[in-house]
Amino acid sequence: MNTGGQREAAVIEAIPSEAPSPSALQCRDISVQYGEVAALVGVSLAFAPKLIHAVVGQNGAGKTTFARVAAGLVKPVSGTLAIGGKEIPTGNVGLARAAGVELVHQNFALPPSFTVAEAMEFGAERGRPFFSRRGLEARWKKHLENLGVRAGLRDRIRDLPVEAQQGVEIARALVADAKVLILDEPTAVLSPSGIETLFERLKSLKASGVTIILILHKIREVLGIADTVTVLRGGRLVEGPVAARATNARRLSASIIGAQAEQEIAGDEAALVGATDEIKAAPVPAAVSQAAPVLAMERVFTRSDSEGPGLEEASLSIGRGEIVGVAGVEGNGQRTLVRVLANLVDAQSGRILLGGEDITKTPLSERRARGLRVIPFERNSEGLSLSSALWENWSARQLVLGSALKLINPARYRKACDASLKEWDVRYHTTAQPAGSLSGGNAQKLILAREIDADASLIIAAQPTRGLDVGATAFVWRALREARARGCAVLVISSDLDELFDISDRLIVMLSGRIVAEFRPPYRLGEVGAAMTGAH
Amino acid sequence: MTARLFAVGRAIAFVILALALCGVIFEFAGYSAPEMFQSIADGAFLNPGAWQGSLRWALPLFITATGVIISFRSGYFNVGAQGQFYIGAIGTTFVVDFMNGYPAALVIPLCFIAGIAGGAIWALWPGLLRVRSGADEVITTLMGNFIAGLILIYVTGGILKDPSGTGQVMASRPVAPAYRISSETGLSPTIVGAAIVVGVVMWILVNRSAFGVLAGLAGRNPIMIVWQGARMSRLGLAGFMLGGGLAGLAGAMEVLGPNGRLVSGFLPTLGFTAILIALVAGLSISGAAIVSLFFGGLASASLYLPVLAGLPAAAIDIINAAIALFITARAAPGLGWLAARRRAVGGA
Amino acid sequence: MEEFVIATLRYGTPLVYVTLAGVLAQRAGVWNLGLEGLMIIGCCAAVLGLVQTGSLLFGMALAVALCVIASALLWFVIEKLRANPIIAGLGMTGLGLGGTDLAVQAIYGSQATVNAPYGLPRLGTEFGDFGVLSVLVAAMPFVVFAFWALLRRTRFGLQLAASGEHPFAARSVGVSPARMRLIALCVGGVLCALGGAELALGSLTIFAYGMTAGRGFMAFSAVIFGAGHPIASVAASLFFAIVGALGIRAQLVFGDRVPNDLLLALPYIATVIGIWISARLRGGAKAASAFGELRDY
Repeated sequence: MNTGGQREAAVIEAIPSEAPSPSALQCRDISVQYGEVAALVGVSLAFAPKLIHAVVGQNGAGKTTFARVAAGLVKPVSGTLAIGGKEIPTGNVGLARAAGVELVHQNFALPPSFTVAEAMEFGAERGRPFFSRRGLEARWKKHLENLGVRAGLRDRIRDLPVEAQQGVEIARALVADAKVLILDEPTAVLSPSGIETLFERLKSLKASGVTIILILHKIREVLGIADTVTVLRGGRLVEGPVAARATNARRLSASIIGAQAEQEIAGDEAALVGATDEIKAAPVPAAVSQAAPVLAMERVFTRSDSEGPGLEEASLSIGRGEIVGVAGVEGNGQRTLVRVLANLVDAQSGRILLGGEDITKTPLSERRARGLRVIPFERNSEGLSLSSALWENWSARQLVLGSALKLINPARYRKACDASLKEWDVRYHTTAQPAGSLSGGNAQKLILAREIDADASLIIAAQPTRGLDVGATAFVWRALREARARGCAVLVISSDLDELFDISDRLIVMLSGRIVAEFRPPYRLGEVGAAMTGAH
Repeated sequence: MTARLFAVGRAIAFVILALALCGVIFEFAGYSAPEMFQSIADGAFLNPGAWQGSLRWALPLFITATGVIISFRSGYFNVGAQGQFYIGAIGTTFVVDFMNGYPAALVIPLCFIAGIAGGAIWALWPGLLRVRSGADEVITTLMGNFIAGLILIYVTGGILKDPSGTGQVMASRPVAPAYRISSETGLSPTIVGAAIVVGVVMWILVNRSAFGVLAGLAGRNPIMIVWQGARMSRLGLAGFMLGGGLAGLAGAMEVLGPNGRLVSGFLPTLGFTAILIALVAGLSISGAAIVSLFFGGLASASLYLPVLAGLPAAAIDIINAAIALFITARAAPGLGWLAARRRAVGGA
Repeated sequence: MEEFVIATLRYGTPLVYVTLAGVLAQRAGVWNLGLEGLMIIGCCAAVLGLVQTGSLLFGMALAVALCVIASALLWFVIEKLRANPIIAGLGMTGLGLGGTDLAVQAIYGSQATVNAPYGLPRLGTEFGDFGVLSVLVAAMPFVVFAFWALLRRTRFGLQLAASGEHPFAARSVGVSPARMRLIALCVGGVLCALGGAELALGSLTIFAYGMTAGRGFMAFSAVIFGAGHPIASVAASLFFAIVGALGIRAQLVFGDRVPNDLLLALPYIATVIGIWISARLRGGAKAASAFGELRDY
């Protein structure tokens, strides 16, 4: 920790020394072990009360683990935790909540079938245990109104848009007398304007005396709201809390990535820091073919279902050697778009053409035979069978194409898989090991090795870098750019605008199942953000 | 390889745990547990000739278990082997009853086909309900067992009833000697040969065919294989019908072989035991061949206990049930599949 | 008509109690296929306890105690050993069937039917034709209401549902899903004991091997049919009871002109149809039933 000197100075600036009031949350020497992986190593931290603190780091740096330790959800193998100066036992949610610590999860921890009123009640600790439906609603109406959460008390959680779900989750966290509110990646699912609303809400909470700890990974957002910044890397504390005004984006990104890794990925710093108002687009490829598009969707309409709204008259075309990005707040039809292209949901009307041929009614196996490749949203459920061997996962695409009764020689597939994975730089011991034993980055490379082959003509990459560290992210983008250079059409869905700005030759925005806007570089964050929320 | 040995060790450990629980139950019921286990071991393997008895039961169990393995591997909990076995046996009996007099070379293959078809049909409707509508196959196949049991009572007391029967046990007319494929011992070249053929074909299907790999992926993570373009409904139905067909084949062999006729409520625990064999063997065909011998021994002992040792046969049911209770405990072999599926589906 | 209502209540009351046990387990996230086994343990313990000591109270206490112990064992296997709930439940069912068989043989030396000297207290003549029904039948609507209120109108009920639907949400408000499941299964054990006692001592006053004849599975199906909602599930189980009573009625009316064995299959067929309808209504679990595995997240 070569930043030691600076760090101490910064701490002194952020937290008045010999502070009369004890730290809102203090942990000493916390270590967490998941199996053989050390998620946190000897982390000691103290957060001053009534401020907004940011904890930043790459994926896998231990941010979420830290939040869960503080909330009592994860029991560390060693270390102590003190709230408001009083030490509490670790690994006990009840005691942590009683001490005033509440955690808002990244993917929201509310039972989807509950009504808003029920979601408030199930985590409450005081008051009558029996209720009537009306009594329940009366009880929580005011609470939600005070927090400015716009959601009907009878609405079911699963029917709420993500912004409202997050509002309800925050309201749920505040039903008790919260002193420390921890939010895990709250901005990941929000539109730019949603983020602004959230930050306003957090500022007013801070004014009312709540200490807020924000787990974030975008430096721009950190510098926009936080009073102090703490950096974790590889489960260790790198620096912090330092006063946000005593640091800058450059210094933070250096300590997030780490000095030695910096050279390798210098070009991707923009994605980490976050866009300023305007960002330069990736250079437009040499020749976007003017011939017939690889993919053409013509006024496609689908029914909405449990996985999201249906498409309404979605028209889209992608040419050879073109990368089209899809932006939008999650849950606005991006999943449906990918599913209709993969024939996992039926098009009610409209046409889909692949390479000029109508494939609207063609099954997925046939579409794949014609060059469609899909990198699905959920790597661990849709992309891979985690308990199956690497070679089985790798050969699935080819086996699906042939007859199921074909006799095969597994040794041949293992060998081919071995060669392919080596080419894609996947780190593994044997092709017989289960896919679940790979790290996130290697697992995604396995999917790339399967899906990006010489016969691919259209590659759909849905959230291809979610949960990956900077190095693996750079690898994925490089692979997609290479595919473009070979003439593939590429459709990229991401909730990270900075990434999209960086890679897309063209950008479309989805809202409520419609394609509402199309942009060409240079992209402006303000314009795209406005289109995402319908203010366009 | 070490993973495999570890899995076998886990399976053995949980079987021993189950036996310990049984010992407690036996003692609680007033029996001497050591004496009980000694008698079971005698009846299953130690007495002279016990091995023949065990093998007799192991063969139909093995055939049925391979079917269970196929449907479990392809991701469906077809627990209706019992009903499929019954319907297969009924189909066979109809053929043998109505084709009495035709040459054996014609009738016996037809009987086999009828058995397989009967079992497959009894697996088809739960399979269709599952892949078309998503109706839970555990309940539909369980209900299928009850319904098949009642159909068996109905036909053995009606259409196929043996008029010379005593009325105590409802049964069909005995199969003519020309069509029998074994004596009461249940061991004949035809039966042993059929079991070997089934074992080899199923081993190839599971380990050396595209279906085997795809069904394996589907069983562990149905979502992933759908995104690859496989048609789960076809894979699933194939698994269902193969499972049912094999149980039906076992039914045909019982009717033409050791039983020699259709008896109401015969072999009532065959389906459940076959499921246990599949799970204890970790859904491996070669493993099932060995595990079948163990459970065949238990089945044989359940006949030996009341007759020669004066102990209740229910002891064997309890042992089987206790093994079922524990065998899927995580990291036990069969469970790798189930646990992994849970992770794949619910993974954070 | 009254006769038919009585037949339905006799058929349905054990089913309703066991269905409530299934609802509790389902809401806590456990697919309890051990209901059949727990129910027959309830039947057997109530009858044997009564016959051996002459005390109905002892019989009931024995039934409750054994069912709770068996439920706790099932919980241990599912929750602590992480066994698959469906297979473990089927194992528990087998253990119940085999164990009760063994108990009867240990005491009486044969698999014979055990006759009890008397059964549960009846309502008595002031209720007219309905006087032949037992007190557990009369208590049934109140028990159903109580469990509806517990599950749908208390914080405990919400926490139980959260444990099943989204265990991580439950854990993040300090509720232990494992403990919730233990409570749900053990209370379910009490209900199974009551259902079993009603089946054996409500109108029949006997215990016979395998006398539950799939009622536990039917109750489980009613839970699936009713999507785990207490009232809907109970309604589904009463529907199965009506079908069962119709079958009995048809036997009485038509005698030998219809095959009795096939009439007996009516409730099972109704169950299959019920499962099919509920799958169609809710879209079913086309790809992933997850084999009923417990969820941690």
